Amino acid sequence: MTHVFQCEDTLTGMMTGVYDAWDSRLGHQKVRLTTAQNIDREFFCEYVWVKPDLTKAEKVLRTVRERLGEEAYEMIAYAASYPDERKADAIYRMIVLGLSLPVGRQISGMLTQPDVQLVFELKRKAWHIAHRYLGFVRFRELRTGVLLSEIDAEADVLALIAPHFTDRLPMENWVIYDRGRQKAAVHPLGKGFFILEEVKEEEFFGICNSKKEECFEALWKTFHRAIGIEERTNTRLQGSLLPGKYRRFMNEFSTEKTYA
Amino acid sequence: MGAWVGQQMDLQRKLEILADAAKYDVACTSSGVDRGNGKKGMGNCIAPGICHSFSSDGRCLSLLKILFTNECVFDCKYCINRRSNDVPRASFTPQEVCDLVIGFYRRNYIEGLFLSSGILRSPDVTMELLYQTLYKLRREYDFQGYIHVKAIPGADARLIEKTGYLADRMSVNLELPTAEGLQALAPQKKREKMLAPIQQVQKGCTQNKQELMLYRHAPKFVPAGQSTQMIIGATGENDWQILKVAEHMYRRYELKRVFYSAFLRVNEDSLLPVLPGGPPLLREHRLYQADWLLRFYGFGAEELLTEDKPDFNLLLDPKCDWALRHLERFPVEVMKADYHTLLRVPGIGYRSAQRIVKARRLGTLDYQNLKKMGVVLKRAVYFITCGGKQMYPVKLKEDYILRNLLDGKEKLPGGAKKEVSYRQLTLFDDPRFSV
Ligand code: SF4
Repeated sequence: MTHVFQCEDTLTGMMTGVYDAWDSRLGHQKVRLTTAQNIDREFFCEYVWVKPDLTKAEKVLRTVRERLGEEAYEMIAYAASYPDERKADAIYRMIVLGLSLPVGRQISGMLTQPDVQLVFELKRKAWHIAHRYLGFVRFRELRTGVLLSEIDAEADVLALIAPHFTDRLPMENWVIYDRGRQKAAVHPLGKGFFILEEVKEEEFFGICNSKKEECFEALWKTFHRAIGIEERTNTRLQGSLLPGKYRRFMNEFSTEKTYA
Repeated sequence: MGAWVGQQMDLQRKLEILADAAKYDVACTSSGVDRGNGKKGMGNCIAPGICHSFSSDGRCLSLLKILFTNECVFDCKYCINRRSNDVPRASFTPQEVCDLVIGFYRRNYIEGLFLSSGILRSPDVTMELLYQTLYKLRREYDFQGYIHVKAIPGADARLIEKTGYLADRMSVNLELPTAEGLQALAPQKKREKMLAPIQQVQKGCTQNKQELMLYRHAPKFVPAGQSTQMIIGATGENDWQILKVAEHMYRRYELKRVFYSAFLRVNEDSLLPVLPGGPPLLREHRLYQADWLLRFYGFGAEELLTEDKPDFNLLLDPKCDWALRHLERFPVEVMKADYHTLLRVPGIGYRSAQRIVKARRLGTLDYQNLKKMGVVLKRAVYFITCGGKQMYPVKLKEDYILRNLLDGKEKLPGGAKKEVSYRQLTLFDDPRFSV
């Protein structure tokens, strides 16, 4: 009988799943991991709910880093953020296979192996999304001096992009809020960032903007308009590079209609 | 508050004029340096560069690209800011530029600053102002973001050097591919005068590298290197001449990038050509593709064009064009061919080539794998075998392949011309972008 380990759809959830599935000693062929929450239960399967556990997850991640290398670690972290129900199982199998190799680090290059290939593919997709957000995040300054940004990302990128902004704006208080997931990355001045779960929009969005905010938004719009070369106008290209779902949160497009 | 708002109005107007005046400069990448912040001030740089927005012409915006001033004493024929034009004029102060950069950067609008300038009174005066601006940003505001600044030809070498220690990238635009072109359209500019600062910065970079080997904390001089820009189609040079110049700039002066800018007729002037099809965007696109082949694919200009065949086939990208003229080298077996041979296969990018080399050591590849690794099979099928097999039967015949390639999506003549426009600046900008 197959045991299906149902994990929370977070890196911690999945890594705990890897730990528990392994620890169950049922044999790798007899276990399956999933992040799907509402599944059609199959008759010959037993379902186990995995309770996310930071200590277990950290153990797994440490092993991955040490034995499979940074590249594999990055692949897994990024793939885990992408919404795809196959990811948890593929990550599990990639780790199992990697740890069975004489040189674990080779795992990240084994793109002929279907599970590794899937993790690689998901990583690529998530990386592109995360990389876009590094540029498309827009902060506005609140009266309190806090910089606030809102996103609605297809993948769970907060933890992937927050380190970048921590390095970039170390002396600022800033918040990036993921509307769909109701999560926020919060960075207090001079410290590291942390992720808050189950954050209601009102908690950040009641405060009004600083006095200078309007001026800077107007300056930015002026720049954005002035820098385009009329003779080369190509709004179709612009549209394909910058789809409406991102524009919604970018003030330079706020007067244009959105194409979402 | 009232005074501040008044100043902002003024700043709005200046920004409008000086961003508009800077828009024809094409370089807008923030790539090439990795610099962590070190827990102070503001800003960092990441090597692949980051796009923050896209302008209405489809170009990636990553830097606040402005002229410091357009009150220029020169009269270059092709330039909208030339002295003899009646256009609105303005100059920033160093403080104003700092306010804009810091205000934009905090809000994550930009990666940094691209500061160019017209010649205000003299090259020295102009360079001094650029230096002051950078000094203020780096030292007073502790700004660690990306800065690209123009070196003004004819300015005091010491000023250029001081500025170089504050900038990430410096550039001098060659403007036109040849000295004769320059003589015709920008008589106040001299090729030697433009090459002098390029040479100086190159020397500075080399020396700096040695210093950095001895003292890890020595100040960095232009760490992201130099770039330049040429206008395409204002003067009569052919693609071969242009590509030779580019290759020379890469080899002799170790430039990081050469940018090409399709000629736009912004001034009425009998010396300027009237190009019936508008700016030669497709030609510009092909030059960028070829430039890519020079820098990352181990091609030489001589392989791509010759004196007898001096222009690119506008219908075909330069790599396909080359492959079709060298069918004797194909098909290539992907399980065996070395990295450099793989690089020359149309449809295989350098990233995919790396992945192939790594993956085939650990397993057997099939066409499905290749696709997942980013190989564009539509183009590659004619030129490869995988495990001794073709993907489906194709003929290794020039006209057959040509017809099939042209039937594909890259068919660009006529109306589709606009499609290509500035795509190169986004997709081709930095190799690391296209994972
Ligand atoms: S120096 Fe020539 S190209 Fe530069 S701003 Fe002045 S007129 Fe234009």
